[in-house]
Amino acid sequence: MLLEADRVSRAFGGFLALSEASLTVESGEIVGLIGPNGAGKSTFFNCIAGDLAPSTGRIRFDGIDVTSAPAERHALLGIGRTFQVPATFVELTILDNVMVGAFLRHHRRGDAEAKAMEVLRLTGLDHMAHQRAGILGTPGRKRLGIARVLATEPRLLLLDEALAGLTPGEIRQAIDLVRRIHASGITIIIVEHIMEVILTLAARVMVFNQGRTIAQGTPQEVVNDPKVIEAYLGHHHKRRRARASP
Amino acid sequence: MSPRTAATLALAALLLLYPLLVSGLNGAAFFQDVGATLILAAISASAWNIVGGYAGQVSVGHAMFFGAGAYVPLLVFNLWQWPPLIGMPFGVAVAVLIALAVGIPTFRLQGHYFSMATIAVAELIRIVVSNWDLLGASIGIQGPATARGWWDLTFRSSVPYYYIFLAALAALLYATYLMERSRFGYYLRAIRAGERAAASLGVPVRRTKLAALALSAAFTAVAGSLYAFKLGYVNPESGLGILVSVQMIITAALGGAGRLWGPLIGAIVLVPLQSATNSWFGGSGTGLTYILYGGIILVLARFEPGGLIELWQRLRGSGGAKIEGTHAA
Repeated sequence: MLLEADRVSRAFGGFLALSEASLTVESGEIVGLIGPNGAGKSTFFNCIAGDLAPSTGRIRFDGIDVTSAPAERHALLGIGRTFQVPATFVELTILDNVMVGAFLRHHRRGDAEAKAMEVLRLTGLDHMAHQRAGILGTPGRKRLGIARVLATEPRLLLLDEALAGLTPGEIRQAIDLVRRIHASGITIIIVEHIMEVILTLAARVMVFNQGRTIAQGTPQEVVNDPKVIEAYLGHHHKRRRARASP
Repeated sequence: MSPRTAATLALAALLLLYPLLVSGLNGAAFFQDVGATLILAAISASAWNIVGGYAGQVSVGHAMFFGAGAYVPLLVFNLWQWPPLIGMPFGVAVAVLIALAVGIPTFRLQGHYFSMATIAVAELIRIVVSNWDLLGASIGIQGPATARGWWDLTFRSSVPYYYIFLAALAALLYATYLMERSRFGYYLRAIRAGERAAASLGVPVRRTKLAALALSAAFTAVAGSLYAFKLGYVNPESGLGILVSVQMIITAALGGAGRLWGPLIGAIVLVPLQSATNSWFGGSGTGLTYILYGGIILVLARFEPGGLIELWQRLRGSGGAKIEGTHAA
């Protein structure tokens, strides 16, 4: 198994943002993490990415304990991640943004540039490689974020709301890109709150609510789970049912 | 030949010939002296630029590295009558040790906190040195009054210093050029643009910042040594005062921080301006220098944070701004 998270919890001060989340991911899977805002999925995601150290629990990647390793070590081991807000290096050119990632495994400038161009072709940004990244809008920046991390040659790719804020047409393109990345042999964990998107991509879904994992399974199993329905449709639904029953 | 290469060659030729070009003028010695001061300011600012510009870690305490470079050669002369030149590598070593001592704890801090920590440490060092008799306390220490040989680097004219400084500047700019194109240079710019994103791409953020600070400190110490060779004298104010740090920042920022030619262009504008204000208003120039610096900071921060190079590029209408407009529409 590629990734194993065992009862991972994370508290901020007295607030338990994530409580005992466990997940195992096999090589070649696409796993979705879903849940309403503030459900703990981003906290869990950041623990796996090495941006946050879990308060308790263990995380292993390919047999190596990475629980409290810094983010740069995760990148070196092969865990790549994108950001919800793309964190583009706006002053650098698009090519240079991607070369920062490529330098991780290609120390010579020429090799890094070749790797970066290869990734830019895959993500469809090669025609504007020499322009400043600041000119890109949100869809372009998300695409660049993916290109940059692909240049680090990850084995596990963590996508944080890669599709949020895109138009339906852009979402279709992005889904297509994620499929191509997956087809190239990269395992993917994707966080989304757009249900429809994740259901078409992921073979397995983990649902969060109020810091806990409330369901895990195939998309079909999960959408029919009463706890998931309640979390998504909320108290309104429950209250209506409660009022109807007595 | 591209216009860029042509401009670079023209600038290089001008700098090489400058002492000869002004040698016929009335007050040639003054102009040659200003030239040497200008090149030295460009060296200090280029050294600061490595960590303050490229890596975006704005140190306001680089005087401590400059001071280490200036004091140590004069100290070894005073203690053992060694040529100051021999003290230079020791000055560099002291500066690097200070850089590590400052960087290891403070690079846990980000942004302004790092800047404030550098001010505090530099001021602390200045106060300690001001009270340390071995280092001449508040009076300062002197180098050889008359040369015992060329290796004392004590010349009457400014011209030999000008060429020594110019050689050092050329070496530093070439090293910076190579750094810009290397993995290290990319990592520095990534850190400046966003530490969290840089770390996610495998950039060892703290180690890279520390290396940049040590490298920057080493070159700043070289500038300090060169200063001491030329003046033959250093005191806490001229070697370790906050104005020394501020001058590096202003010079680099005026030309363009994080750009190869930024510090030199900044020095070319700023140093003649300083000399002019000093000679117009006589010996009371120090207070005026502060006002000049304050004014430049204000104008840069308000109108052109990218410095003169960026202003020039915008006026020429090249690059970013235009394309941005068309995309937004």
